[in-house]
Amino acid sequence: MEKPAGKSAKFRLMGKKQSKDLFFAVILLLPTFYILFKTFLFPIYQSLVWSMYKYHMLDGSDVVFVGFSNFTALFKNHDFWTATYFTGYFTVLSTAAELVLGLFSALLLNQMFRGRVFFRMIIIIPWAMLTLVNGLLWKWIFQPGNGSFTIILKKIHVLSASENPLWLADAHHIINSVVVADVWKMTPFMTLLLLAGLQAIPSTLYEAAMMDGAGFWKKLRYVTIPQLFPILMIAVVLRTIAAFRVYDILTVFTGDPTTSISYLTFNKAFRYFYLGEASAMAWVSTAIILVFIVLYIRMLKKNSHEV
Amino acid sequence: MKKGKVLFLLILIFSLLAGCNAAPTTSGKKNEAKSEKLSWNNKKDLKGEEITLLWVNTDGANGPRGKILKEFTKDTGIKVKEIAVDYNSLYNKITTAVLSNSADIDLAEMDTIWAGQFMEGGIAYDLADAVPKDVQKKYTQSSLSSVMYKDHLVAVPFFSSTKHFYWNKELLAKAGYNAPPKTWEEFREMSKKLTKNGVYGSAWSWKQAEGLNCDFVSLVYGFGGKFFDENGAPVFNKGGGLKALQFMVDLTQKDNTVDPASLQWSEDDVKNAFSTGKIAMMTNWEGMYPDLNDPSKSKVVDKTDVGLMPGNGDVKSAAVTGSEGISLMKDSKHKQAALEFLKWMSTKKFQLPLFKNDGMYPTTEGLYDDPDLKAADKTKTVDKVMKQFEYGQNRPNAPGYVEWADILSAEIHEALLGKKSPKEALDTAAKKIEKAIEESK
Repeated sequence: MEKPAGKSAKFRLMGKKQSKDLFFAVILLLPTFYILFKTFLFPIYQSLVWSMYKYHMLDGSDVVFVGFSNFTALFKNHDFWTATYFTGYFTVLSTAAELVLGLFSALLLNQMFRGRVFFRMIIIIPWAMLTLVNGLLWKWIFQPGNGSFTIILKKIHVLSASENPLWLADAHHIINSVVVADVWKMTPFMTLLLLAGLQAIPSTLYEAAMMDGAGFWKKLRYVTIPQLFPILMIAVVLRTIAAFRVYDILTVFTGDPTTSISYLTFNKAFRYFYLGEASAMAWVSTAIILVFIVLYIRMLKKNSHEV
Repeated sequence: MKKGKVLFLLILIFSLLAGCNAAPTTSGKKNEAKSEKLSWNNKKDLKGEEITLLWVNTDGANGPRGKILKEFTKDTGIKVKEIAVDYNSLYNKITTAVLSNSADIDLAEMDTIWAGQFMEGGIAYDLADAVPKDVQKKYTQSSLSSVMYKDHLVAVPFFSSTKHFYWNKELLAKAGYNAPPKTWEEFREMSKKLTKNGVYGSAWSWKQAEGLNCDFVSLVYGFGGKFFDENGAPVFNKGGGLKALQFMVDLTQKDNTVDPASLQWSEDDVKNAFSTGKIAMMTNWEGMYPDLNDPSKSKVVDKTDVGLMPGNGDVKSAAVTGSEGISLMKDSKHKQAALEFLKWMSTKKFQLPLFKNDGMYPTTEGLYDDPDLKAADKTKTVDKVMKQFEYGQNRPNAPGYVEWADILSAEIHEALLGKKSPKEALDTAAKKIEKAIEESK
C-alpha cells in the first residue's frame, strides 16, 4: 500500500508542467475510453435495459416495457432449466477430467526422459485446433456403426458386438460426447499451466522431503499439490468460465439448443431475435457464473494468505 | 484521492450511459433509406460499380458459382465482391450485418422460410414494384411463391427445389423389385426386405434440425394431412400429420429398417451414406447428380435413379419445397446495380451453367423446354425432377417460423427416440407453437 500513497503525494505537489502532462494523457486516453465505452460498457448497459422490454426485432410487433416479467418467465421456462442443468453437468465433468488428466500429464512431462521436448510440443496440437474443426473431427469419430469411437469401444469389449449406441442423438449422450471431445482438446491447456507451476517449485523442497523419507505419494500430497495450489485454482477458474460458455462445438453436434445456456441464448437472440428475453437470459447466466468466480477468488485469496 | 478518482470515473460512465438512449426502438422500422426509383429495364450506365453478394459457395472462386460471377462482370461491367459462406452460417451472417446497421451487403441469398423475417424486420427491400408483373409471371409458380410474403416480393427466385426420392437400382433388383415404391406402405414393405447384410432400407436427415421438419412436412402431405391451416394455426397433430409421425416412429423403432445413425445425420451425411451403396432408398434435394455418378466420390455410379416421392391413398406424391431467392438489402447503396444482377440471374446465361455444373434447377418456366438444357442433362433426370415440382408443399414463412420449427423438430426428435408417443409429441409442439403465435401478436 506504500506506492499509491507516494503517488498521491506527488500528485498534490504537481506543478504546471505536470498538470499539462496529465491533460495530455487524458486526451490520449480518450479515444481508447470512447471505443471501450461504445463496444464494451454501453452494450452491457443496453442489454440490461433491453432485458426489461418485450423486444421482438424481426416480426414487426411493438416494443413494450414489461419490467421483470422476462426474468420471471425465464425461471418458469423448462428449457432454460434443462439447459442450465446440462451446462453445469458439462462444466463440472469436463473441468474435473481435464484437471486430473492435466495434472497427470504435467507430472509426466516434468520428468526427465528422452523426447521430452518432442512430447511437450505435440501435446499442444489439440489445443491449437479450432473448436469447430475439433467438432467436425469428433463428429466423424462419433458416427454410429463405423465410427472409430464405437469400433474402439467394441475392440476393448466395453461395448458388446450387437450394441450400436447413437452418440449424438439423445441430449444426455450428446453432452457426454462433448465432454470427451472437450477433454481431448483442452487437457493440453491444463497441462501447460500446471507444468509451468511445477517448474516453479524449488527442488530443495523435494530434497528436504526426501530426507524426511517421503515417497512419491507423500511428495505429491505434501509438496507438489500445496505448492501448485494457486496455479491449480487459476487453471480451474479459467476452465470453468470457458466451459460454462460452451457453444460452438454443440452447434456441430446437434440442433438441440437445450444442451447449453449459451446455445439457448444465442438462438433466442440471433435466430428468433427475441432480444429482450435473450438479454434477460444472458444476465441470469452471468449471475450464475459470477457466483462461481467470487467463490474461487475467495478460495484463492485465503490460500495465498496462508502461504 | 484514489476514492475520488474512482468516483469520478463512475460518475462519468453513468452520465454517459444516461445520455445514451439504450431503449429499443420499434422493431423493424428503421429509418427508411431514400427511396430511389428502381427500374428493371435500366438504361443508365452502371459500369465500374461494385456490389457485394453474400451467398452459399463452398467451392471457392473457381467453382461453378465463383465462375458465373466473372461472367456477369464481363457481361455488364459491374464488379461483384463475393462473401462466400456455407449454408449454416448464411442466416447469422445476414442478421449480424443488419443488426450492426451495415450497408456492406447489397445482395444476400434467402431461404424460403426467412421471407417473413426479412420483410417484417426490414432486412430486405420489397421488390414487388421493381420487378414488372409480366416478368414475375415468367418464373415457375413454386419458385415465385417461395419468395413472396403476403403481397411482398422479398427476393428474386434463385433456384427451384423440392425433396426427391432416390433409390439404388441394384439393391432393389437384388431384393426382387424393378420399380420404386408408389406409396409409403409399399415403401415400408420394401424396406423390410431390403434391410439385411449391413444394408438399410432407408436413411434420413433426422438430426434435430430443419432437415427433420422438411421430411416431416413431405410425409404430412403424403399422408393427406396439413402442416398449418389457412389461418396460420398448426394442424400437423391431427389426421395425416399424426399418421406421418407414427410412420416415422414405426420405421425406426418397430421395423428397424432405417439406418439408426439417421437420428444424427443431416442431408449431406445421408448423401454420403447413400453413395457408399449401403442405403437402398433416401429422400434428398436436387444436386445429388453429378456427384452420385462421380467415381471419385461415389460407389454407386450409374446404379441410382430419382423419381416421385411416394404418396398414400388419394395423394399421388408430396414433397416439401426448399427453393431460395436472392434478396436486395434495404440498406444497400447500390440498389440499381444489384437489381441488374437479379435480372441477369433470371436469364439463361446464369441458370444454364449453374444447372450444368452445380445441379441447380432453373426458376424460369421457359428454360425447361430449352434444347440446350436438355442437352446438358446428361443423367436424364430433368423431367423426373421437374415432375416433383408439381407436388411441392411450402412451409409457412411467417416471421415466427424459425422458432416454431425449432419447437417442432425438438418434439419430433423426442418421439423418434421413443421418449414420447407421436401424439403426445405433436400435441405438445402444437400447443407451444400456438402459445408462441399468441405471444408475438
